[in-house]
Amino acid sequence: MAAGASHFDLDRFGIIFRASPRQADVLIVAGTVTKKMAPIVRRVYDQMPEPRYVIAMGSCACSGGVFRTYSTAQGCDEFLPVDVYIPGCPPRPEALLEGLMKLQQKIRSEHNRWGSFR
Amino acid sequence: MLAIEMLKENFPDEIIEEGESAGQPYVVVKKEKIVEILKFLHEKPELLFDHLADLTAVDWLGKKTPRFEVVYNLFSIRNRELLRVKAQVSEEDPRIDSVTSVWKVANWFEREVYDMFGIIFNGHPDLRRLIMPENWQGHPLRKDHPLAVEGESEWQDYKELKERVREFAQYDWYHRIPQGQKDVTESPAGEQEETNATSA
Amino acid sequence: MPQALEIIKKQIGEDEWDEPYYVNMGPQHPATHGVLRLFLELDGEYITHCDPIIGYLHRGIEKLGETFTYSQNIVLTDRLDYIASAANNVGYCLAVEKLMGLEVPRRAQILRVIVCEMARIASHLLWLATHALDIGAMTVFLYCFRDREWLLNIYEEICGARLTHTYPCIGGVRLDFTPHIIEELYKFTEEFPNRIPEYETLIDVNRIWLKRTKGVGVISGEKAVNLGLTGPSLRGSGVRYDLRKTVPYLIYDELDFEMAVEYEGDVYARYRVRMKEMRESNKIIRQCLDKLAECEGEPVIAENAPGLFMPFDKPKRPQAAPHPKKVYLIKGVEVPVVPEGDVYVATEVPKGELGFYLVSDGAGHPWRMRIRAPSFVHISAIPDLCKGQMVADIIAVIGSIDIVLGECDR
Repeated sequence: MAAGASHFDLDRFGIIFRASPRQADVLIVAGTVTKKMAPIVRRVYDQMPEPRYVIAMGSCACSGGVFRTYSTAQGCDEFLPVDVYIPGCPPRPEALLEGLMKLQQKIRSEHNRWGSFR
Repeated sequence: MLAIEMLKENFPDEIIEEGESAGQPYVVVKKEKIVEILKFLHEKPELLFDHLADLTAVDWLGKKTPRFEVVYNLFSIRNRELLRVKAQVSEEDPRIDSVTSVWKVANWFEREVYDMFGIIFNGHPDLRRLIMPENWQGHPLRKDHPLAVEGESEWQDYKELKERVREFAQYDWYHRIPQGQKDVTESPAGEQEETNATSA
Repeated sequence: MPQALEIIKKQIGEDEWDEPYYVNMGPQHPATHGVLRLFLELDGEYITHCDPIIGYLHRGIEKLGETFTYSQNIVLTDRLDYIASAANNVGYCLAVEKLMGLEVPRRAQILRVIVCEMARIASHLLWLATHALDIGAMTVFLYCFRDREWLLNIYEEICGARLTHTYPCIGGVRLDFTPHIIEELYKFTEEFPNRIPEYETLIDVNRIWLKRTKGVGVISGEKAVNLGLTGPSLRGSGVRYDLRKTVPYLIYDELDFEMAVEYEGDVYARYRVRMKEMRESNKIIRQCLDKLAECEGEPVIAENAPGLFMPFDKPKRPQAAPHPKKVYLIKGVEVPVVPEGDVYVATEVPKGELGFYLVSDGAGHPWRMRIRAPSFVHISAIPDLCKGQMVADIIAVIGSIDIVLGECDR
């Protein structure tokens, strides 16, 4: 949240939060994903148009973190294809920015995903 | 404490035990007249325990004989006093009367206790699972429930989700790369080139 | 039922109004501050019934707490209300110390009060930012985060983390403040009272803000107590219940501050209470800083404090006396043993009353760790708060009671 606000300001990288998954290119899974929440996260992902990317933000989204319990999914990669993992509980805003930069790098090096000319 | 004295006068047969733990008075009662007892504490003008701070349960598996204890933490805002009332509930008959008629806040507390411990509250207006999904098996905070549920005993919906995801994966972009073309994401050389481009 | 609705009903005919309209809000709705899901039954645009569905962030902290040692559980309390985690840590530590009968040094108590009040300001700032953003005032969001970042930077200097501090430990606090932190805090307390009028000029004279908050989500004091509301939501209805005043813990009885109370009981009153509280918290930090100078160089952790969290600079720590009780071993590590018994300790966190009910059977980890979360109770009151309101007002009501789902679901 702080990453979007005045101090760190994601907008200057051309990254803007959208309210609808249908307008989004990247899904940031922030925080723990529980088993009850997992089908909903997956549905949000299914609603996104291709090309689409997923960032797992935080230790809990990456691997479940300390919460190895009955109700927690052990990482959101159990049901989502994750592109970038950002560790930390919670990660610093700089870490999130770094993760987004890494994703931009990854997108640049991809071929044939955004069209046959690339 | 005045409240315990008055309880002893009015409900002599109900009280099993009284005492103090870490400076906080508590009283253990039978479960049959729990609503009357709490109503008495709530409405008596000299006691006036108007704030139900907490309602929860404790599972004493292998420690005490009535397995469950439903714990009411009452606070009197005017008198600034805390009183803990514990009602014993056995494993064979996990039922106790609901106190939603006295405090509205008890509604969700009782639903949570039902969800987590499987204690049924008689006369509750809407006793459903609150936190766990509707079709979850078992009551998680019981001591005989495992900490991590994995493998075969996994929640049905989550298993189905995983299967569906495996099915969807074949339509992913990574699997649709035409044969013979190299996936450049893997090669470090391409990445290096791009990094230079960004810095320049 | 409003008059206009009656007229429309007559024109269209009663029969077609029989079926209510159902709307599902959430759980990934951005205005619900997390993963709260609301199931609404509407009559036109008026809410006739509302059913909050929670549990989408249930991580099983209470169950996990039964397998962790007392010291390890401090880390879990960070993840409850991650916006003001220092207040949670202090609440938990107080509960364990009461069960063990530990005396906390005076300097540690003052330090704890400072981090608690910093957490209160930080939490209320974030609340104001998001609440204003939901209602439609974008600028406040940017201004509030400016000051919140300042506080988080101070936190980072204190303990190395921005959000999840784990700064207090059982028997005291981990580290003493450095002179630079005290200097920075003095600067903050000097500057912050000038910042609050900035926010107020932005929204207090804003017609949209007043229209959307005044007279919305009204609740009477008596009903609020029955519904279990605590904290600013209760004090907005005129009930004088603030645990820092009613049951003073730490050194709150020595401090000079006022309980913030408003009497209207609507969204606007709760906003006023929080603004007042920020001013009072600022005053408290200032007084504590002055008190800190009186006990310079005293220890910040009790002599017989057990714990896995040792202070970082060991030589300064007073020689630890052996703990009177026998030592309990988990994987070869000595952990404190807590005597049998149970305790309920409630503290005033920014959201309301946070209670820890710990049951010990004399082992190294709690037999039962129950967390009475204010957000949990506040969400259960949403149906009563928003009945008969418009759909758009539900955003204002949810915002005004200040919920965090991590704490609600646990």
